[in-house]
Amino acid sequence: MQLVGFPVVAGIVLLAFVSNTNKSAHDRLSNPIRMASLAFSLGLFAYTTAMFFEVFANITSDGLAFNNYKLHDSYEWFPALGIHWTVGLDALSFPMVWLTTFLLPVTIIATWHEKNGATYFPTLLLMGGALIGVFVSLDLFMFYVFWELTLIPMFFLILNWGGKDRKYASQKFFIYTFTASVVMLLGLVTLYLMQPDQIGTGGKYGTMTGRTFDIPTLVEHATAANQNGWFMGESMQKVLFVMLMLGFLVKLPAVPFHTWLPDAHVQAPTGGSMLLAGVMLKMGAYGMFRLPLSMFPHALQHFQLALMIFGMVSLVWGAIVCLGQTNLKKMVAYSSVSHMGVILIGIATMQPMGWAAALFMMFAHGIISPMLFAVCGAFKHHYHSMEIGAMRGMAKHSPWLATSMMFAWMASLGLPLLAGFVAELMMLIALWYFIDLEGWSVLWMVGPALVLALTAAYYLWSMQRTIFEGGDETQPPATLHGDVIPDISNEEKLAMLILAGFTILFGVLPWIGLDMMDDYCRTFFEHMISNGIFKGGA
Amino acid sequence: METTQAFSTEFYTALRPELLLFAGLLALIIVPNLGKGTFRIPGTQIRLPWFMGGQRYSLTSNPHLPAWIATITLTGAFIAVADSLNGGLDSISVVSSDADTAKELLMVNGFSRVFELIFFGALALASFASMNRLKVEGVGGKLNAEQLYNNRRQADFYILMLTCGLGMSVVALAQDLFVLFIGLELASFSTYVLVAFLKESKAGAEAGMKYFIVGSVASGVGLYGLSMLYLWAGSLQFDVLAAEFALTGVEPLPLIGIGFVLVGFGFKVSAAPFHFAAPDAYAGASSPVAGVLATASKAMGMVGLIRMLLIVAAPDASDGSAVWLVCLGALAALTMTWGNLAALGSTNPKRMLAYSSVAHAGYMLAGLTAIGAWTWDPSFAGSEGEAALLVMTALLFHLLVLVAFKLGAFLVLSILESDGDASRLSSLGGLAKREPLLAFAMFIFMISLAGVPPMAGFLSKLMVIMGIVNVGVGTGATSLGDFHWVWWLALLMVLNSAVSVFYYLRIAVVMFFEQPEEGREGPLPSGWQVRTSILICVLATVLIGVFGDSLLEMCRTAAESLTTNW
Repeated sequence: MQLVGFPVVAGIVLLAFVSNTNKSAHDRLSNPIRMASLAFSLGLFAYTTAMFFEVFANITSDGLAFNNYKLHDSYEWFPALGIHWTVGLDALSFPMVWLTTFLLPVTIIATWHEKNGATYFPTLLLMGGALIGVFVSLDLFMFYVFWELTLIPMFFLILNWGGKDRKYASQKFFIYTFTASVVMLLGLVTLYLMQPDQIGTGGKYGTMTGRTFDIPTLVEHATAANQNGWFMGESMQKVLFVMLMLGFLVKLPAVPFHTWLPDAHVQAPTGGSMLLAGVMLKMGAYGMFRLPLSMFPHALQHFQLALMIFGMVSLVWGAIVCLGQTNLKKMVAYSSVSHMGVILIGIATMQPMGWAAALFMMFAHGIISPMLFAVCGAFKHHYHSMEIGAMRGMAKHSPWLATSMMFAWMASLGLPLLAGFVAELMMLIALWYFIDLEGWSVLWMVGPALVLALTAAYYLWSMQRTIFEGGDETQPPATLHGDVIPDISNEEKLAMLILAGFTILFGVLPWIGLDMMDDYCRTFFEHMISNGIFKGGA
Repeated sequence: METTQAFSTEFYTALRPELLLFAGLLALIIVPNLGKGTFRIPGTQIRLPWFMGGQRYSLTSNPHLPAWIATITLTGAFIAVADSLNGGLDSISVVSSDADTAKELLMVNGFSRVFELIFFGALALASFASMNRLKVEGVGGKLNAEQLYNNRRQADFYILMLTCGLGMSVVALAQDLFVLFIGLELASFSTYVLVAFLKESKAGAEAGMKYFIVGSVASGVGLYGLSMLYLWAGSLQFDVLAAEFALTGVEPLPLIGIGFVLVGFGFKVSAAPFHFAAPDAYAGASSPVAGVLATASKAMGMVGLIRMLLIVAAPDASDGSAVWLVCLGALAALTMTWGNLAALGSTNPKRMLAYSSVAHAGYMLAGLTAIGAWTWDPSFAGSEGEAALLVMTALLFHLLVLVAFKLGAFLVLSILESDGDASRLSSLGGLAKREPLLAFAMFIFMISLAGVPPMAGFLSKLMVIMGIVNVGVGTGATSLGDFHWVWWLALLMVLNSAVSVFYYLRIAVVMFFEQPEEGREGPLPSGWQVRTSILICVLATVLIGVFGDSLLEMCRTAAESLTTNW
């Protein structure tokens, strides 16, 4: 599919263009390359938006059924091993792909003045291409390749454009997520080799192992096997579920695997943070939906409580830690952990609505968190500090930044009519419904209720200390060295406006994205119930 | 399978690459000596020109000439091998001319051809790159004795490269343990001298000495094992040994004999605990030579291991195990873990690469262990039988692509060595500023060694893991308890890969993040030959990782040609 190839190729071409030039040529090239990258990413965005209207806008729920893909294409890649270049989109992946192509131009605009632009913007494109690759691939091998490939541009983004401790942060980021990934890889390989060979076709796919990496085939086979007991056998399904989930939980990240995230975020440049929080974290949740949740529903039921606990702990712990942060970016990073907890809880409810909430949370957080990080980036860019108390009374002297911050903060804490609210509300309803249905203790509601208050607390408190307090006798922070206090640049304003606009759009008209997610989740559960894998219920 | 006698027509056709190498060797000895030398018939004043010695022609006195001859010869041999592989190679067996008791000496088939590709490819790249590494004094003009001597020494280096290649290919072809041993020693002695070739550096001499002593002890032990095997079976033919072993194998004498022989090969693949000389040797040798040690020489050791373990001491067909199974499994676990932990602690890039090479040896030993655990029951043929084939394919593929990124990494260090020094991590400092493309190449090699997709190293490591898991899973396993224990080797392998990322990334961080050392801010020494070699390595690493299917098929055919012998 062109979606993957183009950004990667464009990134490489642009990088090759500047690779061996000297410093001055490098600087001269930076503007044309920035323009080219922007034009290119806008083109991609137009392409996926057109794709939405053409393919997904008027689709019936049948078309979005579980394991049913649009624009499905397959080419041989390593036929000897049954590896194909297989791409396809469904309601799980399309919103993520759209989100990636949406964030690319916004990120480029928001970080318009990043240093070493000639290499920075192509790296962003590479990152985008790898991320799209993760979402469109329907082949285990291809999925893993892109999964790991995202690490490389992100590693360089942090290493070359990051903050003071970037060396430590980039290595920690890489090693942490790589370790989880290789365990996941072993799980994938075991899954691949434990499928009965020569399934169905009678042939051996022309491979050495007689097995396939094709995800739709695997899912189909898993669903058939799950009807009569456990696919792969009970204990094996549990082991594989744990191995795959480990990789995804670290990426998500869920407490206690989250420690790489604050370091990576704080040190990453604004653009890196925006893509990292906006899309890369979602890879973890997306991977869960795509593989273990689709293939191992029995194990999901078995580990439901564990997932719920992971979700609750992430939710509450993330929020509590936020309260204690003095670093703006770190606070935002931990709020991401907290929000990722919402996704896990949504999954653990095992209700169509909970799942739809999780999917929509992925999407909404993908728009809101880049705005959070764009605000942090602008803050850092103009005040040269990340400390919450460093700048006070922003409302007086920097109205644009103050407004953006307030908007982003409000969106993230779940103000009605903004995108985040929809997801949180749905999660709460689903959880409540689930507790009622399964007869779990009402105490499970304490966590989310507590977090609603905590989230409001840390956001409002940090706003009070930066925006409103000390309006008149404002002392510019020492890091400004007595310069005039500037407001944000025009490019940053534009990026904030775009992000805010879409936050409102998906808050007011959530059905644009929610419809297909809802259809997907409903058909998934109908499918599972009609096949006797899940007992009745929702 | 065709059989042919030595020095028949088929013999010449089949052994074309080796003969080419031999011709190159002769050319290397003769051509640099050609000159205006004459021979005076005694008692007369008649001088007959005989072209040896005397004042040499400008072409033959060119110090770069030996390098070119060696590179062209090795490349020619590489192409000859690739050509014969491409032409759908049949097995050709070379037997001794004794009609009654014809003994199989050499076997040319896909398996040995793939190894020849590895050997000649690595050596060709290394000798091409060495042109910039070995000191050459100015061409033309007046040279003093020291400079002349340095130039003359060029020929020695490349002669050793060629003998090394010749010995290695004999190892790959040999069907008789004694022939194999001769090849092994030819290659070993060449590498001993190559390691010590940089006489200017103390480290080089020390490394050569260490490598020589430990290596000859290992060879001696191997030779002793050989004699015990001969005592036991009365022959050193692989097929005779294998038949004998299937009958009465599990006896002290053959087991000790095989164990001793394995020590010799274990040293070559630098498996723990026989790896101690490797880091010193790599660190002291010039980088292209270290690259050869880490790729071609290791592949040669693997040939020996494969022949000894899988042909002679073949796994038991009934219960899916081999006598050496547990021992080799433990060795594999030890080797990969030790290698990685030691690499974590080393600050010399060359030692780090040496230890990473130890770790890679561990991965390959784990693959061999998996083959040993495979149930050799004919009823599994077609389904489970493919498991061993998969592992073998993976091993061949791994050895093949290792040439690209392992050797490539050493070649990058070679440029730094020419710049002064590459023995500290900080020598790599600021490489991204000094020469961005070189730093990028090194980064590609590092992540390929770590096994990050889409590089070739990922594909090969994935295949080894897949092979091991395939054997470990077996048929009808439903829980972890049903798995064969080799599955845990796969787990250890992925965890080790995760550990290894740390030290590979550290190189990247130093290159991109840290400042160059004092006085080394300037551009790196020029040399298009070594850069071309590096470019070839980068292209191979990336392209094989993305479009490597035909190469995979080739390795599979090669593995099949070995398995038909089982």
